[in-house]
Parts: sequence; structure tokens; C-alpha cells
Amino acid sequence: MEIIRTEALIKDYELGKVKVRALDGIDISINSGEFVAIMGPSGSGKSTLMHIIGCLDSPSQGEYYLDSVLVSKMSKSALAGVRNSKIGFVFQSFNLLPHLNILKNVELPMMYGGLSASKRKEKAREILEGVGLADRLRHKPGELSGGERQRVAISRAIANDPSILLADEPTGNLDSQAGGDILEIFDRLHKEGNTIIMVTHDPLVAARAQRIIRIKDGMIDNGDLDS
Amino acid sequence: MAISIAESLHIGLADITTRKVRSAATIFGIILGVISILVVLAILNGMNASTLSWMEERGGTNKVEVHRNWNYDFSKGGEANLTLAEVEEIRQMLPEAVAFNSQVMLYSHNELKYRGLSYYSNVAGVLPDYLQVENWGVSEGRFISDLDVRESSNVIVLGSSAARDLLGGKDAVGKKIALGGNVLEVIGILNEKNWEKMQGGSFGGNMLEYMNQQSFIPISTAINRYDNTMKVSSLQVTAESPNHALKLQKKLNQILLNLKGGRELFRVSSAQEGIMTMQANARIFSLIFILISAISLLVAGIVIMNIMLASIKERTREIGVRIAVGARRIDIFFQFMIQTVLITTLGGVIGIGLGLLILDKISAYLEMEMIADFRIMISSVLVSVMVGLIFGIMPAIRAGNLDPVDALREE
Repeated sequence: MEIIRTEALIKDYELGKVKVRALDGIDISINSGEFVAIMGPSGSGKSTLMHIIGCLDSPSQGEYYLDSVLVSKMSKSALAGVRNSKIGFVFQSFNLLPHLNILKNVELPMMYGGLSASKRKEKAREILEGVGLADRLRHKPGELSGGERQRVAISRAIANDPSILLADEPTGNLDSQAGGDILEIFDRLHKEGNTIIMVTHDPLVAARAQRIIRIKDGMIDNGDLDS
Repeated sequence: MAISIAESLHIGLADITTRKVRSAATIFGIILGVISILVVLAILNGMNASTLSWMEERGGTNKVEVHRNWNYDFSKGGEANLTLAEVEEIRQMLPEAVAFNSQVMLYSHNELKYRGLSYYSNVAGVLPDYLQVENWGVSEGRFISDLDVRESSNVIVLGSSAARDLLGGKDAVGKKIALGGNVLEVIGILNEKNWEKMQGGSFGGNMLEYMNQQSFIPISTAINRYDNTMKVSSLQVTAESPNHALKLQKKLNQILLNLKGGRELFRVSSAQEGIMTMQANARIFSLIFILISAISLLVAGIVIMNIMLASIKERTREIGVRIAVGARRIDIFFQFMIQTVLITTLGGVIGIGLGLLILDKISAYLEMEMIADFRIMISSVLVSVMVGLIFGIMPAIRAGNLDPVDALREE
């Protein structure tokens, strides 16, 4: 089943008086349960694509369907709901809230989703136990190693059982040991049926994906060819 | 999808407690502002209460008085006094008066004597209604009666201090005392008048003690038996209500002008007018001080706004993360709005606490009664909530409008 489809996505930025085209007609289709890597040199537009897929940004032209819903024309507050329920983000720099303990960090999307305090606490605990952090629930992110922090971030990303997991260089700030552990988790999540879209520079990381989408100058380089 | 107010409150509270130093700095200005508001309102309250209790003790808000007009240039002729016939004429023209008293002061005689003891007392010649116009009462015996006035009886009513000092205060009624060659029978003792500038305070003590040292004889006795050249120098009239008192005041003033050929020899005043003047003064006074408080709160508000703006700048990435995981603009807006209002409200509450602590000291220093009642505390809290709302809105809107992509890029 198709979970993501984009049609002729175009994104323009205004830098002063100059118009810069970051995306120039992107058509992609991703099925539910796929593990896809997006690769491309910096400045290629892959981050912009990622932001649009993650509903943090809207395209200037073209259409984007998520779960068969046209989200490219949605209002900002409707997009907030889409991000909350359908998308889980994992960032290179973890982006945990430093003042909250990791349990609270994982509860965050569930809080914005309106889940009751007791339910979300229970679920956050369950997820964190699943990534081996059961004894760290009350720790602040600053007290954890990079690998542990990224595991918290993944836990947060999957807290609302999203339709897609978006990971932006998730191993970029980790040593190879911790990075490997994180990729194991992504593999496991993939096997459990999650759809994963991972932006990466690293061919070894991309090799874990079923398919690689290459972006160059805002366009798809090798389209829908299977890797 | 919106998160609940309780949730926002929880986030706001957590934000404040994790940033204690910043919150404390933010709060400082508002504390000062609220203290000043509290003190000003307490002063006004105290002034009101003390004036009202003074008025009450001096005859209530229905009282109208006639005195010599000190602003009149008496070199132009005329004297500020009335004959008994004129007084009677005036009385006839004021059927609406509930009580009517005319008074002469017996300046020529003031030494009361009893068995070799002397007591110097201001002796006033009055009518029976004097008791009512002064809201007074007797503790022993009776006051001067109409019969006493008609017959110019040799009777005297003593103030409580006069009775105590001259007669030892015991079984005073019935005793005979001497005043300027006449022997007068003590027929009553008045209640003690007591009014202090501050309740329970020690400033100046009982400001009505001079009344307790006075003594009273029938006005006819004063004129017929002591000095028949004496004329009435003051009138006291009680009206039905404060409003009636204002009307009566005007009417009485006109009567006196007519009687004295248009010369303003007398000043007619009413307690109600006094209260209104006081309230008008209090309004000006309070406006000035509330303006000062408002300026300090304005400064506090601007400081708060800037600290919130700096805080939001510093927390841009956090805001980006919250948006990424599904926070809507309104959620972010409320998070910061509530945080600001919580801080200012907390400042308000602390300000009230500190204000109450120092109120006694300020009150003692200024020798003014200050009353901080519940209403004042509520107003102070409301003001601090308002400051939070007014100065929190701009930073909160800015936070809510952050672009998530930019926010997440922020280092």
C-alpha cells in the first residue's frame, strides 16, 4: 500500500531578491513498510524534501499525499495534528528537551496528542524498556551517552505509533559502536512493519535500506530504481 | 488535539522552577509594583475608614454645622453670631431637621469647684438636642431637658473626665458644684468619647479627650444667669439622611444670608460634604499614586517582556522540537503566555506577602492607619495577572509563530 506519494514537488526560497529553487519537481512513491534511504550531497535539497515529507514545511507547488490524504494544502494547525499522529522524527543531534527527564521527553508527543498522563507515562516506560533504558527513566538527557540519547529520541518518535519514521542522519553524531546499535533498532522497527525514511551521507548506512533515493540539484537522480 | 490548560500550567510551572534565577529576576519588578499598589490602596482604605469613624463619633453623616466664617473680612461689618430670637426663627424654618442645637460658649467662666477642688472646663450652653447631634449619650443621670431650658435651671452635665477629676466619678449625679457664683446641680455624666488616629495605636492618643473635659448647661442658663450679652456662635443640625443633609446645608446657608443681609458671616458645612471632599481628594491622591505604581508595573512589564523574548530566543530549538512532535501554534503560545502570567502572579502574591509584612512599619512611620483588606489583595493579584497578560502576549505570539524548520536549525 502506498503511504507517501509526491507529484512534481517544487520548493522555492526567497533569499533577499533572489529566488532559489531547492526542489525542482520531485515525484516519489513509498509503500507502507518500506525502508528507504535518501542520499545526496549537501545543498542537494534532501533536507528540504525531508521537511516537506515531515510536514514541517509545505511545497511551493506540487502535491504531497500522506496515507492517501493530500497534506500539501493543509493549514498549519492541521499539519501539527498530522505530525503528531503520523510522523516520528529522529534527528542527528537528538533534539531532546534538556530540562525534562527521558520519560517526559518520550511522553511529549503523546501529551500533544491528548493522551492522559497515566496512559502516556505507562506507554513511555514500556517503549523505553524496549530500548534498554528501563533504569534511566528519571535521568535527564545530559546524563546519558550519545547512543542512549538517540534511543530516547527513537522512543519519542515511535510513541504515537506513526505511519512513517523520518530519520535525519541518525548516526551522524555517534561512534560506530553506538551507531551500529541504533541501526539495529531501526532494522528491528522495520521488521516490525514500520515505514522508515532515512536521510544519510553514509553509503554503509544507506545499504541497510531496501531502496535508495538519490537527490541532486533538487531533482531525483536515479528515481525508483531498486538498489 | 489541543493540550489542556492543566497541561500548560504544568509546563509553565516546570519552566519556572528549572529557571529559578531568571524567574526571580523577572519577578522583582512586579513585586515592587504590587507592594506599592498594596500600600497605596491600604492608605486610601485607612483614610476612608478613619474619616468615617471620626465623622460617626462627631455626629454622623447627617450632621450640618454652622460656624463663624473665618474667611470673611469682619472689618466690613457684621458679627458671626445670632440672637436667641434669630435662632428660633431659623429653627421654625427647618421643620425637616431631626435634631437642632444652638450653642454658646461660656468663656467668662470656666472654673468648676467642688469641696475645695477646682477643675477647668469649657462650659457650653446648649439645647437638649445637643446629645443627638453629637451622637452622644449619658452614662449616668440625664441630659438637659426642654424644661431646664425653659426655666433656665441651675443644672450641669459633665464630660466623663470632668466628672472623674472633680467628683471622683462616684455618685456624681445630685452633687452640687459651683461655677462663677452660681451653684449647679449635676444631673448627668456623658459617655466617654474616644477616637484615636489609629485603632490601637498610640499616635496622639484620644483625639476627642477635649470633649470629655467639657461641661454643659442649658443655653438659657448660660445667657440669663451668666452673661446676657452672649450670642449664639454655632448651630448643629441633624438631617434625616446624608442626602437631606446636603439639601439642608444649602437651605440653611440661604437662610443665614437672608438674615444677615447677604453677608457671608457664617460657614455652613455638612459631614456629607466633608466626606465628598475627602473622597475627591482621595481620588486625586490615589490617581497620582496609582499612576506611580502603574509606571513601576510598566517598567516591570517591559523587563518581563524582554526576559521572555530572550528566553524564547534561547529556547528556539526546544520550540522547534515541540512543534515537530505535534505542538500547534496555540500550544506554544499558551505555554509561554501561562508561564509569564504564572511568574507575574507569583510576583503579585509575594508582593502582597511582603507588603503586608512592611505595612505596619510604613503605617507607624507615616502615622497613618492602613487597612489591607481582602478586596485590596484581590485587586493586587488581578493587576499582576493583567501585567502578565499584557506583556506576555507579544513574546508568546512570537514563540507561536516560529517556523519549525528555522527553529530546529537554531543552535
